[in-house]
Amino acid sequence: MFRSEKTRRDFLRLSAAGVGTVSLSGWLKVLAGHTASEGSSPSARKHKSCILLWMDGGPSHKDTFDLKPDSKGAGDFKPISTSALGVQISEHLPQLAKRMHHGVLVRGMSTPEGAHPRAKYNLHTGYREGQGGLVYPSLGAIVSAEIGDPKAAVPNFVSIGNRSFGSGFLGPKHQPLIVTTPSRGVEDLKAAVTDRQFANRLGLLDQMEKAFYHEYRAGAAVDHKTTYERAVGLMKSKEAKAFDLSREPSAAKEKYGSGRFAEGVLMARRLVEVGVPFVEVTLGGWDTHQDNFARVKSLSGQVDAATAALLDDLKDRGLLDSTLVVWMGEFGRTPGINPTGGRDHFPVAWSTVLAGAGVKGGQAVGKTAEDGMTVADHPVSVVDFLATVFSAVGVDPSKENNTPEGRPIVLVKGGTVIKELVG
Amino acid sequence: MRRAASLLFATLAFVIGGVAVERIGLAADQPKSKQQAKKEQLKKFKAKQAARQKAKQAAKRRAEAEDEKASAAKPVEPPKRATPNPSPAAAVAQMIDEHIDRKLAEAKVPAGPAASDDEFLRRAYLDLTGVIPTAAKTRAFLDSTDPQKRAKLIDELLASETYGKHQADLWVPKLFPRDSANRFVLREPLAKWFADQFNADTRWDKLVYDLVTASGTVADNPAVTYYLANRSVDKLTDTVTQHFLGVQLQCAQCHNHPFNAWKQTEYWGMAAFFSKVQPQNPRNPNRGGDAMQVGVRELPVKSRLRNFFPDSAKDVPPKFLGGPEPKLASREPYRPELAEWMTGPRNPYFARAMVNRTWGQLFGRGFVNPIEDMGEGAIASHPELLDALTREFVKSGFDVKHLTRCICASQAYQRTSKPSGSEADPALFARMAVKVMTPEQLFDSLGRVTGFDRQMERARARAPKRPNAPTPRDQFVQFYLAGAEQAHPTEYEGGIPQALKLMNSRIVGNPAAVRSIAPPGTKPAEAFEAIYLAALSRRPTGEEVTRLKEYAAKAGTPNEAYGDILWVVLNSSEFTAVR
Repeated sequence: MFRSEKTRRDFLRLSAAGVGTVSLSGWLKVLAGHTASEGSSPSARKHKSCILLWMDGGPSHKDTFDLKPDSKGAGDFKPISTSALGVQISEHLPQLAKRMHHGVLVRGMSTPEGAHPRAKYNLHTGYREGQGGLVYPSLGAIVSAEIGDPKAAVPNFVSIGNRSFGSGFLGPKHQPLIVTTPSRGVEDLKAAVTDRQFANRLGLLDQMEKAFYHEYRAGAAVDHKTTYERAVGLMKSKEAKAFDLSREPSAAKEKYGSGRFAEGVLMARRLVEVGVPFVEVTLGGWDTHQDNFARVKSLSGQVDAATAALLDDLKDRGLLDSTLVVWMGEFGRTPGINPTGGRDHFPVAWSTVLAGAGVKGGQAVGKTAEDGMTVADHPVSVVDFLATVFSAVGVDPSKENNTPEGRPIVLVKGGTVIKELVG
Repeated sequence: MRRAASLLFATLAFVIGGVAVERIGLAADQPKSKQQAKKEQLKKFKAKQAARQKAKQAAKRRAEAEDEKASAAKPVEPPKRATPNPSPAAAVAQMIDEHIDRKLAEAKVPAGPAASDDEFLRRAYLDLTGVIPTAAKTRAFLDSTDPQKRAKLIDELLASETYGKHQADLWVPKLFPRDSANRFVLREPLAKWFADQFNADTRWDKLVYDLVTASGTVADNPAVTYYLANRSVDKLTDTVTQHFLGVQLQCAQCHNHPFNAWKQTEYWGMAAFFSKVQPQNPRNPNRGGDAMQVGVRELPVKSRLRNFFPDSAKDVPPKFLGGPEPKLASREPYRPELAEWMTGPRNPYFARAMVNRTWGQLFGRGFVNPIEDMGEGAIASHPELLDALTREFVKSGFDVKHLTRCICASQAYQRTSKPSGSEADPALFARMAVKVMTPEQLFDSLGRVTGFDRQMERARARAPKRPNAPTPRDQFVQFYLAGAEQAHPTEYEGGIPQALKLMNSRIVGNPAAVRSIAPPGTKPAEAFEAIYLAALSRRPTGEEVTRLKEYAAKAGTPNEAYGDILWVVLNSSEFTAVR
């Protein structure tokens, strides 16, 4: 049935390209205006956004958002009260504690994978690595495909600080634009020659593309042109300034703290402001097999400052109601302490945090047992969690996408949205 | 830090209910004050751990020795194969054209005109060797008046070393998934094995037989890499049926296929042939593991490898896909039986799948599409031609080079990719499709023009390198694929990051490249020609020369203009097109 689908699509596109005359004059317009502001302004934008704060390595629930001071292996961290009634979190997250009325703690995470690569894959895609012989798209690629503006100047999926997981069978159009070092901006974004020379080159390229298309009328030439227009558009766009952190006033910058993660979170806010629907920012170092407490304390400080500043800024700009902030890693860590003063991998019971985009803040959903070893109430699986995230940003998790071979693949297979959280 | 951590993880990891979870709550409550007690505890723990490890290894050695004894039985005789008897390529090409032309006449669609020499040259180079021709080669070919030059070029390209390399680029991604489980499995030996096999024109039935029955270490027999990179029966079943038989069975793993007759029992019947394969787990080369010494054996009993059988696995006797259950003694190896059935001259899928795939590689679409979905219900655009080519392929002794030579010699392959008149259904093959370079073709072709790949290799040779570190070519390919396994043959799939890289990085903007193609002092007309020959495998048209002259007149210096023109040409859709 869908066997012929792909063929038909090719055929239609080629026919359309052959019959109509496709305009190939985009660049010169772009260059003349010097700004390609096809990205929508915050007031005009229709879609929601998502910022994923990815805690690489897997943070311990007992040292962050689900403290068990009287249990074995609790450590010295004290729980403190928060702006959410009856919800306590770590003393090393004091600023977040004051903003807890925006946030929801999901304390019943329980997931199947206990090794880093497979768990990261699972939490990013909702599927197990290798399942069904496919490479599955990650959260960001799905959001890009579902609600991203295909003509936007800035790509619809930006990943800051690591390679992240790509677009899988959705194809390269939805793969992340990767920013390795936020202070240096986007790789290869600036032309190697002067503006004038670059404009001349594009003028010549435009002529060449027209001639080639006229002769061969290949569908691929149209896609090539569209992609180049978007890339040039990004280079020249005012939205690209979102990648330039030197434009941020230093007082505003300082609130986020210092270091790559702080800069990445700041960049994420700037990107959401220009309409980017999905930004992932990575904070590594959570794989605390040794020396857990000193390291978690330092990491908590980074999370606390940057996330608190992010929530404030989003709120001040009227963007918190349309921006979902997700805090998660690939699993939790053992409630007990190993002989080297660390905690090991533990996917059985752990925590994630959501805020913004209309989730009902100021509560903790689910709980773990007194020793933190098991989920005592409201267990949440990977697919439940991802279904909730998608619903919160306005994507239907039961939607199906076709692979290039025509296999229908549902965005999230069998998850149940956490009702307590979403509208 | 992370490496140390993962090392610790490896020593502490154990399994609860099939899920790898780390040792939980080890010595959970340590007395905070007593440093000494803590040290003691650690020492005790380590000693216990070491003892346990030792016992485990001894048990493993005993089991292996037992298996060794049992499997040291008589070696399996490879099947007898019929003597090759290929028809002349020209006759097969003519037969191809008769079939194609008949369909065109029925559809009242005129066949497109023949490809120009430059179209043919570039196409043949990219299709057969994965890289564009050099400027010198292009010049010589275009200027040659030899009426046999196209046939000679096909022979020359099929005989070149890059032919096998290109085939390896196409095959390795199908059989070696890039997932985290394979990060310590070497890809290179399998790529080299495929390249060597294709260059030696090893019969396709023998090549696949050797791959499916492979045993030994990577160093002894690189084909075992296929098993090392697919360490579960379902992965093996999926790849073998999909790539060698052209049948998509994956859906039947978990449920009876909704669109055709494949039943779950068919799936697990095929999977049963792999049930005794024991691939070793990869060894981390960064911790001194020698990835060349990892190997594969077929045991007399079910494989003991962890997670080799998925939870959904059904225990059924070995059964050929859509065929009988062979009588097999449980201690005999199963794979030779499967391989002999698969690659036999009467197998209904094997030769057809390769013919459809080869046609698809050359034309951008198969007789049956998707290429690897030839199962029940699949409709071929030219069923008689597919049958006839399959018979010829079997008769020729499964000779892939012969099949390729026959197809390339046809008028259908040698037609222009320019459309004439209104667009006809591409399944009629009235014109050649415009294909798009794969990332490997793009890397190698950019390298041929600018030499950037050699610069990157030199830089890599100077830098200290981790074992199994990706090559610059590998990194480039990964960057382009962005997580996909392979590129679509006729679609441009680059995104913004790829376009930015080509426009603004030193891959294209390398001043030395311009100087080597058009040295300072070169006259404009000559420089334009040199650039076009090097990058586009053709001479510029009169109109283009006029346009370029106008451009150069306005640019700063001639060299700046030549740099601009090379940049434009390399960033054009024509460059990435296989036209």
